[in-house]
Amino acid sequence: MADTGTVIIEKTKTKETLDTPWNVIVLNDPINLMSYVTMVFQRVFGYARERAERHMLEVHHKGRSLVWSGGREQAEHYVHQLHSYQLLAHMEKSEA
Amino acid sequence: MIELRVRTVDAKHIRISGIDPLLAHCLQQLPEILEQRDAPTARDRLFPLPTTADRKTNDDWQQNVTPELRHLFASAGEIVLRDLTALSPPAGASRRHLTFPAEHANAWLSALNQARLILGATFSITDEDMNATGFDLNDPRQKAVLQIHLFGYLLQLFVEHEQQDSV
Repeated sequence: MADTGTVIIEKTKTKETLDTPWNVIVLNDPINLMSYVTMVFQRVFGYARERAERHMLEVHHKGRSLVWSGGREQAEHYVHQLHSYQLLAHMEKSEA
Repeated sequence: MIELRVRTVDAKHIRISGIDPLLAHCLQQLPEILEQRDAPTARDRLFPLPTTADRKTNDDWQQNVTPELRHLFASAGEIVLRDLTALSPPAGASRRHLTFPAEHANAWLSALNQARLILGATFSITDEDMNATGFDLNDPRQKAVLQIHLFGYLLQLFVEHEQQDSV
């Protein structure tokens, strides 16, 4: 009985981990060009120009923008891509 | 007046034209600037951690991803430095030009941005510095801001060229 309970808890924990979305955050820096950041968002996420500019302006004015949310593996891929373009980006588990 | 331009010359080549002596001088300093890629302040900026709190993920990243990014950045820098050897020779007061393979455009985007970020990190450049006008070239910090602006102007032309191509 005790073993069965343990298995159920582990499964629940794993499911929670898999289901928790990860947020990809881009931070402001004083050097990167606004046009360059917009171009990178278009290239990395395939966003339309307007959406890419909206995120760029949020980074510029608010210091950060949540640019994507979803599974951990994809979040890592996007952070990797953003770092390859030299943007300041990280991922964090969503609190929602 | 001859303006700095980045344009497609044929299906396989891009040309930067209208390079004035100051920009030419700054471009020739790219090798020295890019060599600073692994100095501590520049390294922290070019190779940031992927999370703010997950130590294991950060350690794995530094072990596996950071070397790959370092190789990517170094390769882009080497391509641009090779391209720069084709910079037309100075001839009096005339502007210089440079033609290179179109497939090198991404390397130029990367190398110019790397140089800007390395200078920014090395001299802890702030928004206030970036908004300053008038530069004393004998002051290393002010010279760095000027270089960041000049590389930024060229980078902006590359971004516009890229967007024209994608329309």
